[in-house]
Amino acid sequence: MPVNLVDLGVIYGIAEHDGVVDVDLTFTAMGCPASEFILDDVRERLLREDGVSDVRINVVWDPPWTAARMTQAGREALEAWGLAV
Amino acid sequence: MPTAAEFEKTIKSGELIESRSEMTPEYLRELKHTLVVSGDTELISAPAYYLAAQKAPSINAFMTGIAIIQDELAHAHIAYHILEELGEDQEKLIFSRDPKSFRYPYAFDVPLDSWTELVVANGMYDQAGFCLLGDIHEKCSYGPWKRGLNKVMAEENFHLRNGRTWMKRISQAGGSAKDELQRAVDWMFPLSVEWFGLPDDLKMHSTQLEYRLKGLTNDQLRQWWLSTVVPYCEQIGVKVPAHQETQEGKDVWVLDYPFPCEFDAEEKRWDFSKPITWDDVLVRWRARGPRNAEMVAMFQEEFHKFRKTHKNGN
Repeated sequence: MPVNLVDLGVIYGIAEHDGVVDVDLTFTAMGCPASEFILDDVRERLLREDGVSDVRINVVWDPPWTAARMTQAGREALEAWGLAV
Repeated sequence: MPTAAEFEKTIKSGELIESRSEMTPEYLRELKHTLVVSGDTELISAPAYYLAAQKAPSINAFMTGIAIIQDELAHAHIAYHILEELGEDQEKLIFSRDPKSFRYPYAFDVPLDSWTELVVANGMYDQAGFCLLGDIHEKCSYGPWKRGLNKVMAEENFHLRNGRTWMKRISQAGGSAKDELQRAVDWMFPLSVEWFGLPDDLKMHSTQLEYRLKGLTNDQLRQWWLSTVVPYCEQIGVKVPAHQETQEGKDVWVLDYPFPCEFDAEEKRWDFSKPITWDDVLVRWRARGPRNAEMVAMFQEEFHKFRKTHKNGN
């Protein structure tokens, strides 16, 4: 994907306590075929940060994701890729 | 239509060809042939992958498998659509051709029977497709195809990721899972190596290269494929029959078995003690493999059944 998850608007919340990071995350569709890869990437990337010992990801569907959740940068990245947003 | 000299000048200048009026009949014929191979390869990968996708170990994995099949069908559609613009009948190409006249790599005719074999196909066959299409994407002299491949390449990356992630996961699981992975690699690796066709020293002339329909020779493409697949397999602890060595000051990938050699498609087994000639390989390819007729029938039969009932007004 040409756009990061934050600009795509699928990260709903993130908090850290004593090295444990909790992430609220959604997908653009319930049938997202890349969901496992995305979860793996988020976990692996956060564990690379100093002081992070564990990552807990909570997949949420409320509120449902829409294109309106994208940032301007995300919109531009997808448009540059030829996707209508 | 341009004269032969005008056309040669355009090709040599590196300019893109955008319409039929800019082509010679020979170029049009070669372009169509290359597109048919590409379309047929993408199309047939759908029933080939579908057999194995049904063995997915989770709903999520099944969704990924199905999404890959959906991509492949869309990629086939791009190639057939361009063929239609070039005067071919898409419907006839897909639904009325004899199974044996489809032009896709022999590898897809050998059944993928498990999720493990599907992910090895994603890691190896899709890597072969990635090299072939990546080269066309970069070098192709026909503008509409070159541009269509922008998106195809992005999506093929996702297939490779599925293949590589799962191959690594299965290898790390060890035990019988890893044994099954190794067995899949043992028969699928040499089939992928064969995918790129005749070695350069047997293929004196390539019209595709001359017309800039592609940029790399068969051996160059094969080396590219080896340079991605061999290191990855070694990294995840899977054995492959190839290694790198320095020849005349250049690093090259070398196969550890006679190429080509005998393959038993029913047993999915190579016999490295039996070298064969490329003429023998071509005989096997032309005869097609175990699943050819069944896979083509998978989409042709229903099409004709539907057409028939439709005509009867049912």
